Formats: sequence, C-alpha cells, structure tokens
Amino acid sequence: MESLNQIINRIKLYIKVTHIGDIARRYFVKNGMDGSMTVLGIILGSWAAKVEDPYVIVMAGFGACLAMGVSGLFGAYITEKAERKRIIKDLEESILSDLDGSLQQNASEFVPALAALVDGLSPSLTATVSLIPFIMSMIGLLSIWDSYVISMILTFATLFALGLFLGRVARERMWLYGLQMVAAGAVITLIVYVLGGF
Amino acid sequence: MQHSVRRLVLDVLKLRDPPLTEFASTLCSLPSIEGVKVSLVEIDQNTESVKVTIEGNDINLEDVKKLMKDHGAVIHSIDEVLVQKTPSDKP
Repeated sequence: MESLNQIINRIKLYIKVTHIGDIARRYFVKNGMDGSMTVLGIILGSWAAKVEDPYVIVMAGFGACLAMGVSGLFGAYITEKAERKRIIKDLEESILSDLDGSLQQNASEFVPALAALVDGLSPSLTATVSLIPFIMSMIGLLSIWDSYVISMILTFATLFALGLFLGRVARERMWLYGLQMVAAGAVITLIVYVLGGF
Repeated sequence: MQHSVRRLVLDVLKLRDPPLTEFASTLCSLPSIEGVKVSLVEIDQNTESVKVTIEGNDINLEDVKKLMKDHGAVIHSIDEVLVQKTPSDKP
C-alpha cells in the first residue's frame, strides 16, 4: 500500500513524463473563461429580461455549469485518451519495444483523468463565483439588483484574474492580459445591451 | 564457488522522459546497486542512446532489465562486465 507521499510523488512524475501540466493549464484557463462568460451571458440576459427571482438565475447558471462540466469531463477524457494512445504508439515505434506496464504507459492512463477533472471543474468553479451573490439573494442577504451588480463585478474580477494568470505564464505584463480578458467580457455586455435594450 | 557481478556497462536506448538524472536515480534505488553513471551518446526526437555504468554488489541483470523496461528503456548490448569472487569465497 502506497503512502500519500508516494502517491503524490508518483502523480508528480506522471505529470512530468507526460508534460500534462502545460495542457492542463490551458484547459483550466480556457474552460474557466467559458464558465465565466456563459454565466455572464445568463446574468446579462436575465437583467435585460428584468428577472427578479434569483432562483431562476441560480438554476439557469448551475444548469449551464453542469452541462459545461459534464461536457468538459467526457470531452477532455476521450480526447486526451486518444492523444495519449497515439503518443504511446509513436514512442513504441521509436524504441522498437512495447511499453506495457511501463511508467509512460501508466502515466498515459492516468493523465486523461486529470485533464478531464481540470476541464470539467474549471468552468463550474468560475461560474459558481459569479452565482454567489444570487445565492445570497435567495437567502435574503442581498437584494436582487445588488446581486446583479456584485455578480458582474465578481465575473469581471474572475476574468481579470484569469488574465493575470496568463500574463504570469507568458512572463509579460500581467495587467495587459487581464485587461484583454475583461475586454472579452465587455464585448458580451455590449452585445447583450444592444440586443436586450437595457 | 560464488561470483558476483560488480560492474556492468550497458548500451541502452531510452525514451527522453524521464530525464537522465531521474533515470539514474531510479536505477540506483535497486538494493544491489551502489552507483550509476549515465552518459549521453546520441539524442533523437523521442529517444536517447546512453551508456549506463552500474556498480554494486551482486548486480542482478534481470532486475536491471525489468526496471529499465518499466521506465521505457531497452538494453541494446552489454558492453562490459566485471565479475568478482564474493568475499566469503576468497581464500
């Protein structure tokens, strides 16, 4: 029976051998942004339609979260599994030997699950941040219109934080990346504003 | 009369991951091995040809082969072997 420390070291080795860290980082930011933008669309649409029941927004938001999460989970798992099978076959050809039971083979079986978790959980995580004010409104801690404002602020803050993270990855000006992400949110806001006629 | 393998020099083809340091450390984790030297001979897109020098007391080649296979490496040839009588057998 492996100790927790051994399991963690093994996972670290699998991540290193398969270089899944870079891919998981992309999955996290891309799908995290998807989650924020989707909920932003729901919030803006609800605002335009003058929805005053926070329960409707929370359920619509979590419904979208769940769909994105399940889609990410299965999509990333199957995609990554196929990619890893191909890589293993290429490596087997390079080394002129099978890799059954090897570190590379075991790592290739593990990483699709990791990619699926990141891909599935990141949109749910970012979307939940945006929905917190509406949950507070449901239990009477905030008025619905305050919830809209706070939720918008939280969503743009999440987008900015994802941008900062990307800026850190790129080792460039972090705030510039943050602003680019916020600009994407602003575009959605503008479109809903034009379509919905605030 | 008992003999033990004290030194092996192997020509090995390994995948680029895990890198040389980890590959050498893993080999060194075998109980009969006291030291490992890995020298890069040639590098390719996915593979590395390396010369592996293993020193120890009663080195088991089958254990070495299995550990290497588990880490995506195959032995091409055994280039050098040093076998010595075990201390208990010496007069």
